[in-house]
Amino acid sequence: MPLNRDALWYKDAIIYQFHVRTFHDSNGDGIGDFQGLEEKLDYLQELGISALWLMPFFPSPLRDDGYDIADYNTVHSSYGTLEDFRKLLSSAHDREIRVIIEMVLNHTSDQHPWFQESRSSKDNPRRDWYVWSDTDTRYKGARIIFLDTETSNWAWDPISKSFYWHRFFSHQPDLNYDNPDVREQMWNVMKFWLEMGVDGFRLDAVPYLVEREGTNCENLPETHTILKELRRKLDENFPGRMLLAEANQWPADLRPYFGDGDEFHMAFHFPLMPRMFMGLKLEDRKPITEILQQTPEIPASCQWSLFLRNHDELTLEMVTDMERDYMYDTYAESKTMRLNLGIRRRLAPLLDNDRRRMELMNGMLMSLPGTPIIYYGDEIGMGDNINLGDRNGVRTPMQWDGGLNGGFSAAAPERLYAPLIQDPVYGYPAVNVLRQRASEHSLLNWMRSIISVRKSTGVFGRGSIEFLYPANHRILAYVRRLGNEAVLVVNNLSSTAQAVELDLRRYKGNIPIEMFGRNMFPRVGDVPYLLTMGPYQFYWFRLKRI
Amino acid sequence: MLRTEIELAEESFLTDDFLRQLINVGEVDILVGLPTHNNAKTIGSIVHTIQSGILRGFPRERAVIINADGGSRDGTPELVTGVSIDDVRPSSNLYALRTLHSISTKYASSPESGIAFRTILAAAELLRAKACVLMSPESANIEPEWLSKLLGPIYRDGLDLVTPTYRRHKFEGLLITNLLYPMTRALYGLRIREAYAPEFGFSGRLGSQFLGQNIWNDGTGEAGVELRFTLAAIAGKYRICQSFLGEKIHVERHAADLVPVLRQTVGALFSALEPDFPVWSVVAGSQPAPTTGADQEVLLEPLRVNRKRLREMFSTGVAELESVFQSILSPTTVAELQRIALMGEEDFHYPAELWVKTVYEFAASYQKSVISRDHIIQALAPLFRGRVVTFLMENRNASAGGVENNIEALCLEFERLKPYLLELWEFRE
Repeated sequence: MPLNRDALWYKDAIIYQFHVRTFHDSNGDGIGDFQGLEEKLDYLQELGISALWLMPFFPSPLRDDGYDIADYNTVHSSYGTLEDFRKLLSSAHDREIRVIIEMVLNHTSDQHPWFQESRSSKDNPRRDWYVWSDTDTRYKGARIIFLDTETSNWAWDPISKSFYWHRFFSHQPDLNYDNPDVREQMWNVMKFWLEMGVDGFRLDAVPYLVEREGTNCENLPETHTILKELRRKLDENFPGRMLLAEANQWPADLRPYFGDGDEFHMAFHFPLMPRMFMGLKLEDRKPITEILQQTPEIPASCQWSLFLRNHDELTLEMVTDMERDYMYDTYAESKTMRLNLGIRRRLAPLLDNDRRRMELMNGMLMSLPGTPIIYYGDEIGMGDNINLGDRNGVRTPMQWDGGLNGGFSAAAPERLYAPLIQDPVYGYPAVNVLRQRASEHSLLNWMRSIISVRKSTGVFGRGSIEFLYPANHRILAYVRRLGNEAVLVVNNLSSTAQAVELDLRRYKGNIPIEMFGRNMFPRVGDVPYLLTMGPYQFYWFRLKRI
Repeated sequence: MLRTEIELAEESFLTDDFLRQLINVGEVDILVGLPTHNNAKTIGSIVHTIQSGILRGFPRERAVIINADGGSRDGTPELVTGVSIDDVRPSSNLYALRTLHSISTKYASSPESGIAFRTILAAAELLRAKACVLMSPESANIEPEWLSKLLGPIYRDGLDLVTPTYRRHKFEGLLITNLLYPMTRALYGLRIREAYAPEFGFSGRLGSQFLGQNIWNDGTGEAGVELRFTLAAIAGKYRICQSFLGEKIHVERHAADLVPVLRQTVGALFSALEPDFPVWSVVAGSQPAPTTGADQEVLLEPLRVNRKRLREMFSTGVAELESVFQSILSPTTVAELQRIALMGEEDFHYPAELWVKTVYEFAASYQKSVISRDHIIQALAPLFRGRVVTFLMENRNASAGGVENNIEALCLEFERLKPYLLELWEFRE
C-alpha cells in the first residue's frame, strides 16, 4: 500500500521510538532484530503509531549504544542484514507506518575506517576528515557535555601524536565539516538510506558540526549553512522526506534550525519536557506556560516534536540551577538515579506508577503543539533498572508477556543483551503487552484510545494554541484551533479536586463536546465557564457551534 | 437544625468574591497576611519586599499574600494585587518556581484590626496554610529576611508562634516595658518581650485553634486581638520563640492617642485574664522564651521628652478622677497616688511597687466591672503617664545594660506581687 503523499505527514504523526535491539528477538540470540520487529508491526499499527524512529543500528563497537558508528552503509550483524531492513521498511510502509532512522553526523566511532586512516599519518588523504591539533588549548569556549566521564573536549592520540576534537565521548572523534569531502560523503550516506526508502532522519547532535575559535562552538552560522545545504539536496531529490533535529538548546537558539522552512522540518522541544514534570510536581502551570511563551513562532511547514521520556537521561540542561535542584530532589532523591545533568528513569517510576499522572502527562503530550514521540514500553508503564550502568536502565527488553524472558526472546536468560525488569511492581510478569491487551481498562488500551482521539482531528498536529489563564494556577487550559475547528483542553495538574472558571466568552454559543465520551456539556455563555475537575483529570472538548 | 443553619449563614464574614479568590489559590504552605488601610504610599515596596522574602526563604513552597483592607480610598488593594513578581526579579536575580498569588479583600469600610486578623486567620484555615506571618504596612524598613526569621522556625522546626524582638530606643515602647511585658510575663510565666507585635509568625494549627475561640462574637475580639493571640498561644502551651529582626522604623504618622492604645493593649490583656484564670493563677515565676539572634538591643541616642507635661497630666488626672479611682483602687493606693501627685518635678517618684499594685487593682476592677470597663481603661492613662515620668528619670543616664536591669527589676516586682492580684481576684465577687 503506498503511503499518503501529504508532504506534512510528520505534523500528524505519532512517533514511536526504540532501539531494534530492545524490541523483539526472532532468532533466539538474546538480541532484538529487524525480523523480530517486523513481527511486531501489527502491535504498533494497532496502537495507532504512524512512524517509527529507530535508534542507530549500524556496525559499531557499541560503546555509546550505537551512537559510535563504525560503518554508515550497512546494519549491525546482531540485528540482521540489510535485506532484513529493506523487508522491515516495506512491511512498515504497507501498514502506513513511516520509518525514521538515526543519522549521527557530528562524529564517528574511533573504530571507523575513516578515523583509522586519518590517524595513521598526517599525510593521509583523510587526515583532514577529523579535527586535529597539536595542542589541547583550542576552542576553550566549548563546554564539556559528558561531565561525568570527560575532562576535556580534546583527546591525545598516541598513534598520530596529536590531539583530536570530540564533543562527546573520547572514542567519538568529531568529523571536520570544514572539509567539503566530509560534507559530500555524509550526503552520500544519507542518500544511500533515502534511496532504500527511509522516510526521514533524526540528525543527532547537530549544533556541534563546526568549531570556531572564540565561540562556544554551538549553533554557529557555518553549521546552519551545512544543514541548509543538506535540506536543499533532500528536497530536490527526495521530496516528502523529513529531517528532525536533535539540538538540546533553549527555544530561541533552536529557532534558527528551522530557518525559513528550509532547514529542519522538526526539532525536539527539549526545555518543555522537564517543565511538564516540574509543573506536575509543583501543581502549577507556571513552568509550562512560561517556556511556551518563550517559544518562538516557527515556519508553517515546521513542527516541534514533543516527548516525555526517551533513551537518554531526562535532561536537565535547559533549566535553571534552582529548577534542576528541585527536579533532582523531587524526582531523583537517590544519587544513583542521576546521570550527567539529568535523571535516568522511565516515565512510570518517575510518576510513582500513578496511572492518573501518566494519563495526564500523555494527555498533555498529545494535545500541546507538536508531534508526540512515545518511548517504547511507556505505553504499558514499563519500569527501569537503575542498577544497570549509564542509561542502560531505561533500555531493557520490551515486555511482551509473562512467559520466558517476557516474550522478548527464546534465548537463555543469561544470554539476553540486558536483563529484563523483574521487580514485583514493574517486572514482566506484572507489566506486559499480553496482559494489558486483555484488560479493557489497561494503560495500553487507554493509550490506544487517546491516540485514536488525537488522530480524529488535525487540530492537535497543525492547529494554533491560545492559552487561557484561569485564576486557578493548578489548571493548564488552552484552545487549539484549525480553521473552523476548536478544541478546548483543560488539565488539572493538582493531586486534589479543583474548581476552575474559564473565560470562554470568545466561544459563546458553542457546545463543548467531551471528545472521549462524546457527551455534551452546557453551552458556553457570558458568565465564566465553571468546571470541576478530579485529581490529575483532563478534558478535551470539541467546541461545536450548532 | 434549620435554626443552626441560619445562624451559620449569618456568621459568614467572608465575601463570595474573596472565597472565589481563595479557591483559585488552593492549599498553601506559606501565607502572608497584610492588613491595610490607606497605605498606598508605601505598600508597593512592602509587597516587593515580602515577595523577595518568599522567593529567598521559601522558593519551593506554595505561598500567598492575603491583603485584608479596611476600606482604603487610595487604591491600596489594587497596588497589592498589582505588584508583579517580575518587578522583583531583575534587580534581585530571584526566580519563582511557582505562581505567587496576591489577593485582596475589603472586610469593612473602616479599619478594624481584629476583623482584619480574623479574615486572615479564616483564609489561612481555608487554604490549610502551614506557616503564616502577619506583616505590618506601617513598618518602613521591612527586610526580606524578616520573612525567614518569622516563618522559618514554624515551617522548618514545627514551632507555633514566633514573636519579634527589635532594636529599640530605650524610651521607645514604654507601655511594653512598663506594663505589657512585665505583666504578661508575671502572669503567664513566659518572657515574651513583644507580646503585642505588629508582625509575627504563627502556625496554621495555632491560627485555626484561635479562630475557633469565642472571642470574635463576645465583643472582646475586636481590639488588641493580636495580644490575645499571643496569650492564647502561651495558655495553650504552644511552642513559642522570639526572633530578633533588628531596627524597627515606622512610617511617618501622627502620634496615636494613648487611650485607644490602652484599649487595644491593656484592655485586651485584662479581658484575657478571666478566661485564662485557670492558667495564670497556677503559674509562679517566669521562664525565658527561646530566642534566635539578639535578645533585645537598646539604642541610647538623646531623645527629648516633655516630662513636665506628663507629670502635670498625671497630677491633673489624679485630682480630677478621684471619685473614679475610689471605685477602682484601694484607699491606700489612692492615698499614695494623691501624695506623689503633689511632689515637685525633681522629687517626683512613682515607685515600682505602687505602680504594680495600681495595675493589678485596675485589672481586678476591670474584671469586676466596677464601672464601665472603657472608663477604667481611660482612667489608667494619667497614671501610666506618671509612671513614664519615673521611668524616664530613672533611666535618664542609664546605659543599655542599666535600662535592662531596671526593666528586669520591674518585672520581678510584678512577679513578687502576683499573690496580691490573686488575692484581689479571689475577693472579686
